[in-house]
Amino acid sequence: MTPERLARGHELVARYPRPQSALVPFLQYCQEQDGYVTLQAMRDAAELVGITPGEVESIASFYTLLFKAPAGKHIVQVCRTLSCMLRGAEDLQAYIKRRLGIGHLETSADGQYYYEEVECLAACDRAPCLQHNLEYHYDVTPASFDKLLDSWQASAPAPAMPAE
Amino acid sequence: MATFEPVIMKGIGESDLADIDVYERGGGFSVLRKVMSDMTPDAVAAVVTESNLRGRGGAGFPTGRKWSFLPKDGRPRYLVCNCDEAEPGTFKDRMLLEKTPLQLIEGLVISAYAMGAKQAYIYIRGEFLEGSRIFRRALAAAQSRNYLGDRILGSDFSLDLVVHRGAGAYICGEETAQLESIEGRRGEPRLKPPFPAVAGLYGMPTVVNNVETLCYVKHIIERGAQWFAKIGPEKSPGPKIMSVSGHVRQPGNYEIPLGIPARELIDEYAGGLLPGRKLKAFQPGGASSAALFEEDLDVGIDFDSLAAKRTMLGSGGFVVMDDTACMVNCARTLTRFFEHESCGQCTPCREGGQWVARMVARLEAGEGSQEDLRVLNVINNTITGTNLCPLGDSIMPFLSSVLKRFPDEFAAHVAHGACPIKDVTAVVA
Amino acid sequence: MSETKMVKLLIDGQEVTVPDGTLVVEAAKQLGTQIPVYCYHPKMDPVGLCRICLVEIEKAPKLQIACSTRVTEGMVVRTMSPKVAEARRGVLEFLLLNHPLDCPICDKGGECDLQDFTMEYGPGASRLTEPKLHKPKRVDLGPTIVLDEERCILCRRCTRFDNEIAQERNLVVVERGHNSLIGTIDGGDYESYFSGNTTEICPVGALTSKAYRFRARPWDLSHADSVCTQCSVGCNYRVDARFGNIMRTFTRENSDVDGGWICDRGRYTFNYLYEPARLREPLVRRDGDLERASFAEAVALTAEKLGAAAAAGRAGVIGGGRLSDEEAFALQLFARKVLGTNNIDHRARLQRYASPARFGARLRDLDDADLILMFGAITPEQAPILDLRIRRAVARNAAHLVFVGPFKPDLAVPFHYVEYATGAIGDLMEALADALKRGAQPQGAFAIDLARNLNEASKIVAVHNGRNPVAASALEQLIETLLAVGKRGGILVVGSQGNARGAEAVGCVPNLGPGYAPLANAGMTTAEMLTAAANGKLDALFIAGANPALTFPDGALARKALESVPFLAVAEQVMTETAAYANVVFAAASQFEKRGHVTNLEGRRQAFAQAVEAPIYVATDAAIVSALASALNKPDVLDDDPDWLFSRLQAVEQAAKPAEPLARPKLDPSVTAHGDNLDAQRKTFTVVPVPKLYAGGGPSLHDPGLAPMRPQARASFHEDDALLLGIAQDRVVTLTGPNGSITVAANVGTSAAVGTVLVTADMPEAPVNRLLDASGRGRVTVTPAPLRKEALA
Ligand SMILES: Cc1cc2nc3c(=O)[nH]c(=O)nc-3n(C[C@H](O)[C@H](O)[C@H](O)COP(=O)(O)O)c2cc1C
Ligand code: SF4
Ligand code: FES
Repeated sequence: MTPERLARGHELVARYPRPQSALVPFLQYCQEQDGYVTLQAMRDAAELVGITPGEVESIASFYTLLFKAPAGKHIVQVCRTLSCMLRGAEDLQAYIKRRLGIGHLETSADGQYYYEEVECLAACDRAPCLQHNLEYHYDVTPASFDKLLDSWQASAPAPAMPAE
Repeated sequence: MATFEPVIMKGIGESDLADIDVYERGGGFSVLRKVMSDMTPDAVAAVVTESNLRGRGGAGFPTGRKWSFLPKDGRPRYLVCNCDEAEPGTFKDRMLLEKTPLQLIEGLVISAYAMGAKQAYIYIRGEFLEGSRIFRRALAAAQSRNYLGDRILGSDFSLDLVVHRGAGAYICGEETAQLESIEGRRGEPRLKPPFPAVAGLYGMPTVVNNVETLCYVKHIIERGAQWFAKIGPEKSPGPKIMSVSGHVRQPGNYEIPLGIPARELIDEYAGGLLPGRKLKAFQPGGASSAALFEEDLDVGIDFDSLAAKRTMLGSGGFVVMDDTACMVNCARTLTRFFEHESCGQCTPCREGGQWVARMVARLEAGEGSQEDLRVLNVINNTITGTNLCPLGDSIMPFLSSVLKRFPDEFAAHVAHGACPIKDVTAVVA
Repeated sequence: MSETKMVKLLIDGQEVTVPDGTLVVEAAKQLGTQIPVYCYHPKMDPVGLCRICLVEIEKAPKLQIACSTRVTEGMVVRTMSPKVAEARRGVLEFLLLNHPLDCPICDKGGECDLQDFTMEYGPGASRLTEPKLHKPKRVDLGPTIVLDEERCILCRRCTRFDNEIAQERNLVVVERGHNSLIGTIDGGDYESYFSGNTTEICPVGALTSKAYRFRARPWDLSHADSVCTQCSVGCNYRVDARFGNIMRTFTRENSDVDGGWICDRGRYTFNYLYEPARLREPLVRRDGDLERASFAEAVALTAEKLGAAAAAGRAGVIGGGRLSDEEAFALQLFARKVLGTNNIDHRARLQRYASPARFGARLRDLDDADLILMFGAITPEQAPILDLRIRRAVARNAAHLVFVGPFKPDLAVPFHYVEYATGAIGDLMEALADALKRGAQPQGAFAIDLARNLNEASKIVAVHNGRNPVAASALEQLIETLLAVGKRGGILVVGSQGNARGAEAVGCVPNLGPGYAPLANAGMTTAEMLTAAANGKLDALFIAGANPALTFPDGALARKALESVPFLAVAEQVMTETAAYANVVFAAASQFEKRGHVTNLEGRRQAFAQAVEAPIYVATDAAIVSALASALNKPDVLDDDPDWLFSRLQAVEQAAKPAEPLARPKLDPSVTAHGDNLDAQRKTFTVVPVPKLYAGGGPSLHDPGLAPMRPQARASFHEDDALLLGIAQDRVVTLTGPNGSITVAANVGTSAAVGTVLVTADMPEAPVNRLLDASGRGRVTVTPAPLRKEALA
């Protein structure tokens, strides 16, 4: 484990009465740096909080915001639940998939984009909505998506899955 | 237009209530001051009990009663604020978190004081990154002014609040799954008993309360139990935020006095249906609630009136569907939701839920059969009421209600091999 | 203990009274009412996931799960109402939805709860036309287990076993919802000494054992209630055979001994019987080679040579620890009454005692001990099921575990490690006893710590390896002191052979007869017999079920003795390192091919039944010695009938007058300790043999079931020493002692103390006993082999 990771790990552990509570926050921190939860991160986490690597995998695989393989620099998560569907999410999804050239749970060949249809994002009043690297975008239309895409391409991407 | 004066939504959209100076200028933290200087914990709890406040997180359990279950045995106890809001159609807690985090903190500190918790956690849904950042800033500001931390405002009450972010799992909104999740495990609901009040977080007595619930506590202490109890029906009193979405002109969060008819919420608050459309169905309490229809528009929006209609207020996710909506399509998105979010412990929820989702998807795609319809009509008996936590019981209510009300629409999908309702998404201009 | 309150309730109209807090499912069992369960297992915490056990309870608004609902006074339960039937049907329907229904080729067919409950409560075939979702089949979970995810019903018994019972937590649920799978980190191996238990508790055919896959259908099997003798715990198990061949073993719960589990070594060691290495007829050495011979010829020759040697007072008998109680009794009768010598000893390795003479604890005592002291015994490797009890005591009952020994072992639960050289443990314990008695401060922080632990504990169980005589008596002193100050406690000695305790009890020691009756003239111990043989002072040796060439600490001495003795007869099941020196080899029956009793480490005598017939020219040890007795004209002394032997044994034991306190088996003259102290120059290293569950010669070496799990012989160094010596991980090194050398690959880490080298014990390819003296100590020099790529290949 790198000294920074270890230090961060200890800091997270200190927040809680029991070390294991720091597990997911620690994995989130590793994911922010590595782009996904690597095998090494799982082993480090196991050591940090005193459980087995198998248990870490069991826990990590439960949560959908922890990626077990490289996803993409831009993570595009479009809501697919009822309120967004009533407001045209399906058309939007079809458009975005065409635009990015990838399907649900897929990563573009260049590793830039990852696309996922996710459950309700709690922004039903501004449907359809999506998250890009956990940042909300509301009332998205094909045209507004194009603009978003341009802006993402223009700026150097921040971590795809920020930890805090 | 609506005449109800907002309580916890007051000032939202007018000024930046996340700024501690702004919040204080509007009277923020004055209630906490008052509590710290001249109220005992028991006195605070008594007011909350008397107000008859019922939890705003979904189950509607009386908050004062819940606090009273904590055993007085000297063990440390915890308050957990549930901000995992993921019930489809609900978006009020995210708004409260982002727009008025200090109000939440104030309510939370008062509540922790009332129940004698020195340690609190707020479980913020993983997707609410921005909200968690806003909240952390607000928390730091509140700490710097001693509204939190050691010996709050000079009293001998100290409270530490830890922000814990989720990582993508609806089920972690269920209180025992949330405790598991904070403990660093898979977010799988626990077998009860023991209940959290007896053995909750780290095995200690614990209360889990919703964001909105805690926000109201502050106002109940400020204005008195009777003020609150007199709003709305006697057994289901007070204001409540309804998140209205779907086919209405002005989707959004509206704070209403409980008990107003559904019609009023749609027409007065949310601006009515879209031009030229007819109401087809509405879900009063999120994805887990059974749908109601045109003929039900006069039902009062409160815990008991909705329960009498065999649906529920839940968390207040009010979704309106007009005549362009295909019920099979709606049922598909919701059954898929539960299929995706089942933790997978219970057989009926895991396997039954997955089966139902497959059947409904088949129907929507025009590949369904009479057999699918027959199964969907009876499977409720074996899925509902047979699981460990309420998620499994949430799979069927919406589907069963629309299947019963619009059997022809489902049958037509089998007969036509396609959806007979055109332009499902025509509303998007 | 307070009286448990009893409550009365009605189940399907029948009244039953059970202790308050009983689970409804268990209360129903008392009435003979079976409520179907999948996730529930009486040995594990209820989790209430599968929902098959739903029942109707009056006043409850919904159906309740019988597996976790506790009874209350006046409760009214219905387990067969239409609502219950519908719910069960529903759960079964859901479980079968994506189930492959490949029962005809499933090992579990015939004993599958899914099959059985479907027959009883199931939905029929009606709605099951749904296209199946597929999941991985034939997932190789590691050396022992294959997983079929499609058959898995996610009851989690296996993962909970690995967590709650084994405390290892490597087998887990990954993913969630209906994508959930049973798995390990990154698809790695599920390696556990207890893995086989998961195949038993799996209610369906999802987990099957590689050893048993596709070999038999349960209804074809014959069953024999047996007792495992792979170690001294004596777990009860059932041996299942088909047409005279053993197919598998199965737990047969004895909660006082095994708690319903067996380890993989016990479970899988039987296939050696069908290997070429199995001896199927006697062998006699002719012109230097061992050749097939008739039983009569072997008996005649042995009787002649042994008889002559005995007449001259120059015969000896080694063995007993691997025989049944009856046969060990017969063996000492043979030595004493036929050969007329007390030269008999079962101890074929460095073990002074099979039992503590006093203060013997019971396995059950571990359950509520608050302090468990492990002295040198590496229980996971030497007594795995005993270790499970320790794991549970530590994990569930917060027992404090302390290991005192020369290196830090790998234990599944947290423990406190006190590094102590084998030779010095006695001093430590004396100091501790002193501290307790007189409140004196012992030397050293850890000793003060230990003394404090002892003071605070109310029940202490010590687990000893029985090796070091000084430590053993100091330990007894310590326990005596503890008892004197009002604490409870006792000692468990982990024997090195399955029936060492039995052999000791029936008199396979030179100074004690059956029932620990002291004898006037003690015979020779194993070490003395070997020394005598090596010095030309013994003319014949008879060895039954022992392999001193591999296991006796001073390997050089053992080999020299076996080479020098003019006549050597060995009774064995497979060719061993010892049998290779013999003039006559008898093909001996295995445990499975005979019946009788064995005595476990706590002194519990347990009966075992015969599972299969022995091959025609294979004889039981009792038959061999009784044939020899007849040939030596003493036919009345012995009979090979186990019943005859057992009744004689009981009679003799009853008549025996043991000393008070019990006399100990005679010890070898103590060998001068060449100190365990550190060689400052690191020119020589102290050798510490380390037991490994799957190591060993003989049957375990030849068992194909164990082959995938066999460890590699290793020498482990402390990383500081490794640096000085210039060796890295996996580098091949030669360890050289005064009497021999072995070549093994190195491990580098921190488990070995500085100045010591840990060597895997009992590996025929690199026998550690080449490096040791008769007291089990040794010093070696270390030479790294020249660096070659293929060195390890
Ligand atoms: C599947 C499921 C999801 C839930 N999600 C939430 C949630 O996101 N937020 C919430 O406050 N309560 C949620 N609840 C309800 C909680 O279990 C709990 O009743 C509530 O947080 C208690 O707070 P209250 O008494 O203030 O309402 C959920 C319950 C279930 C069964
Ligand atoms: S009902 Fe579903 S979500 Fe709830 S515990 Fe059971 S499997 Fe998990
Ligand atoms: S046996 Fe009761 S829920 Fe599984």
